Amino acid sequence: MLIWFLPAFLFFLLIGLPVFFGLLAAPGLLLWLNGQEKDITLLYRNVYNGMDSFPLMAIPFFMLAGEMMNRGGITIRLVEFSQALMGHLRGGLAQVNILSSILFAGLSGSAVADTSALGSMLIPAMEKEGYSRKFAAAITAASSVIGPIIPPSGIMIIYAYVMGESVAALFLAGIVPGILVGVGLMVMVRLMADRYDLPPAHRVVLTGTQLGKTEWWVSFVLVRLNVALLIWSFMPIAAEAGAAIKWGLLAGALLIAHGIFLGLRRVVSHDFRMVCKRAMVPLQTPILILGGILAGVFTPTEAAAVAVAYAIFVGFFILRSLKLSDMPQILTNAGITSAVVLLLVGAAMAFKTVVSLSHAPEQLAGFILNLSENPLILLFLINLLLFIVGMFLDAGPAIIILGPILGPIFVDLGIDPIHFAIIMSVNLTVGLATPPMGLVLFVAAAVSRERVETIAKAILPFLAVEILVIFLITYVPAISMTIPRLTGFAQ
Amino acid sequence: MGGLVSVLAPIGFVNEIILRIGRAIGVVAIAAMVAAILIQVFFRYVLNNALPWPDEAARFCMLWMTGLMAPTAFRRGGFVAIDMFGRALPSILGQILSLFLLLVSLMVLVVAIQIGWGEVTGFGGKFTTASLYLPTSLSFDEWHRIPRSWMMASLLVGVILLTSVNIELILRGLVTLMGGGDRLRPIDDVELLGSE
Amino acid sequence: ADFTLRATANSNENDEDYDGLIVFKNYVEAASNGAIEVEMFIGTQLCSNGAECLQGVADGSVDIFISTSSGAAGIFPFVQVLDLPYLMADDRVAEAVLASDSDFMRSMKQMVSDGSGGAIRLMTVGNTGGWRNFANTQKRVQSPSDMEGLKIRTVVADLPQVLVEALGASPTPIPWPELFTSFQTGVVEGSKNGITDIMNMKFPDAGLQYVTLDGHAYMGALWFMNNEKFQSMPPELRTVVVDGFYQLQQATFASPKRKSIQAYEDFVAGGGDLYVPSPEEKAAFKEAAAPVYDWFTANVDGGQQAYDALVGSVAQAEERINAARAADTQ
Ligand code: NA
Ligand code: NA
Repeated sequence: MLIWFLPAFLFFLLIGLPVFFGLLAAPGLLLWLNGQEKDITLLYRNVYNGMDSFPLMAIPFFMLAGEMMNRGGITIRLVEFSQALMGHLRGGLAQVNILSSILFAGLSGSAVADTSALGSMLIPAMEKEGYSRKFAAAITAASSVIGPIIPPSGIMIIYAYVMGESVAALFLAGIVPGILVGVGLMVMVRLMADRYDLPPAHRVVLTGTQLGKTEWWVSFVLVRLNVALLIWSFMPIAAEAGAAIKWGLLAGALLIAHGIFLGLRRVVSHDFRMVCKRAMVPLQTPILILGGILAGVFTPTEAAAVAVAYAIFVGFFILRSLKLSDMPQILTNAGITSAVVLLLVGAAMAFKTVVSLSHAPEQLAGFILNLSENPLILLFLINLLLFIVGMFLDAGPAIIILGPILGPIFVDLGIDPIHFAIIMSVNLTVGLATPPMGLVLFVAAAVSRERVETIAKAILPFLAVEILVIFLITYVPAISMTIPRLTGFAQ
Repeated sequence: MGGLVSVLAPIGFVNEIILRIGRAIGVVAIAAMVAAILIQVFFRYVLNNALPWPDEAARFCMLWMTGLMAPTAFRRGGFVAIDMFGRALPSILGQILSLFLLLVSLMVLVVAIQIGWGEVTGFGGKFTTASLYLPTSLSFDEWHRIPRSWMMASLLVGVILLTSVNIELILRGLVTLMGGGDRLRPIDDVELLGSE
Repeated sequence: ADFTLRATANSNENDEDYDGLIVFKNYVEAASNGAIEVEMFIGTQLCSNGAECLQGVADGSVDIFISTSSGAAGIFPFVQVLDLPYLMADDRVAEAVLASDSDFMRSMKQMVSDGSGGAIRLMTVGNTGGWRNFANTQKRVQSPSDMEGLKIRTVVADLPQVLVEALGASPTPIPWPELFTSFQTGVVEGSKNGITDIMNMKFPDAGLQYVTLDGHAYMGALWFMNNEKFQSMPPELRTVVVDGFYQLQQATFASPKRKSIQAYEDFVAGGGDLYVPSPEEKAAFKEAAAPVYDWFTANVDGGQQAYDALVGSVAQAEERINAARAADTQ
């Protein structure tokens, strides 16, 4: 009897009740009809307790950091950097768009932020270079879904929390799949460049770019420190080596790094160097977040707070591009947006309680296992289901609703929980760019002033690539599992 | 309809003022969250002295941020919903449907207020927080352990504000249904800042 | 069934709590001839922490719930008396002290009932995971001075923090799910856990290789029940439930002893260092921990009463056990 809350929920959802209310109304109604009034209290209590969580705090923090970086003029630096690296390729600006998305993904946890930040800059630029507006909007939207696949990622934080997985493991598992989506899109652009004769490209490097003194020195130190730490981490240092030896080796590594850059100096132009330098400060963010988590210096939530601190430091002291008067607006936006997400997560935890009370997973597992007992076939079917759901529902709510129902079934079938999390997250994230309901499509339409339908048609080849990547990720677990396993964050 | 509009005006006004205050507190809360966690990181790694309270204090702020800021999102139409069906309907049916949906939401909220009140004032509110204290004397030598009910009140306040917004939206819907849509003051649009 | 009891444990099916619940379910359902049905919810399906679940027990949306002392401390602070170090010498003493008619259990039951306005009954106190020991990733700990400066994970509760500080280490509050990673990366260097928890969570893989069997605290599992539900049953079924909890308690006494054998073997096989402190060393630990007792009786509501009850029951139990030992070894 209680199990009828699932169709009731579906009904409420389809007639347009906000997901938050649907998640509570349907179970509440059925509990009441079932004479279980006491358990309605359980619903309310789980909304509250669902939100009262330390890991969830990373959501407002990453949103805040991303928004501050974006307002602080970091987007333009990443685009210029991508342009300097890839602008000379066939379909240059389209490739730049994709690379910018990958880089931006390391700073922001959201595809929507990616679309609006990069779209408002790159779509007009691509149009000026002779790309059609719909193509420019389509590639922006398609590449923006990389945002929540590469860490940090709001979606993965939600998944980890709702399903009780480690945020750090999911973050690490998302890196390669995110890059794979980017590479897939680049290959597609390359193919289309021949076929559709995309505008010829030329390396675009801004000339006469000037750097402030502070920024110049900060980048000078940072880039050498990055390379030195990289070299140092590969040095065979005995665990019991004294601090003096370790510091000495680090100093050596710094000298080597400096030497490398002196050598490079002769090879590349002054302007190219300036563009790279300008990108160094923003690109520290992913290094800081991932490095910090990997080195165990902080938890993902703490990493998110540190990212905010770094954004403040960069925006106010290095680039001096943020004003105190910008802050109320930035904080308000981050607060309101995360409040909606948090309420939704709370409602989902309440919904999950009724899922347990009704023994829905057991019944659904029976149904699913009736279809086939072969995990490979079931994974195919589940991807189909997720893709369809993703067409109509945003990734966050979809994960919140389906995760607790589907996750346990597939984990029982022997799929690693982290691997399943990535399948689900990537699939539903791609859903952000699919018609008819695709948040990223809507934003791309708003930014480009192109119609949603037109973009939806132009995006099809890229969606095809992304679907291909989804299946690659599904059937080659190593793509997602290698990094978390090597770093000991997954077994 | 004139009566409806005149009832709506003060409700809308009050909502606007209260939600603005809510947003202001929310901004302070989110800033305090960042500060608390940064203090935690600083003490643990730099001073090698882990503090017990930042975790709970930051969650305290996050809950209040949610309770005070989510109603603004609701008022500006920022709650996620699939609205294709409503938009496919003829306009009058669509308006009736959205009124019906608002009534369903109202039912949820009214039940939530009742339960929430019972939760805050009842047994659950008697629990103490694990690590939060307030000084009860000016010399800071007497400390009072903050009860959990202070945290739990955030959601209760949240659903009360949501209810108030919901009533405003229902009245707006009724006015629109009666053809007075042009007499409504527009609610400022939600700014797109994605969480996904 | 005339009565359905909804029982929940926030642990998993490998846990002693689950063993106890299975025994309870089996006994109660059989002994009541099907009049009582026990529905089990393992994990965080209904509620996810002590405060939330006890709220459920109080209002009847959860009938039976097992809480650790730290989970219940928010409303029944005196239950932390179980976390006071080195008061009970071994399992034999602990099990006698926790028997349902000991002075200690009588006063705990009364205090729980008073503290919840008669809504919640304390049914029994079993075990969950044996005894707490200090474990760390750095070195063998033989005396309190070896603890100096170690970052030890504790829950966010005053008592364990006071204890860790008294021993010269620094208490670091880390959420349980983050603990593996935190060991791995050095955010914390040690913890106070039972061996089965250590092995279930695979902590040795994260570097936790040194365990000192100081047995500083008994890992008590407090089993609570909704009073209204209990009272709604006819007397003969109440007897069945009470006996069911006795069965459950015995099962949770036995389960960790059995499970810890394999856990200790696995720990040592994985290269772990297991150290049993000498009586002198244990006395040194107890002496170093002394500030905790004063802190507890002075600062915790009902602390003095719970402490006196425990110390009194321990003395009685030791006397009886020593007499029995003397008679048995004649
Ligand atoms: Na990202
Ligand atoms: Na979609």
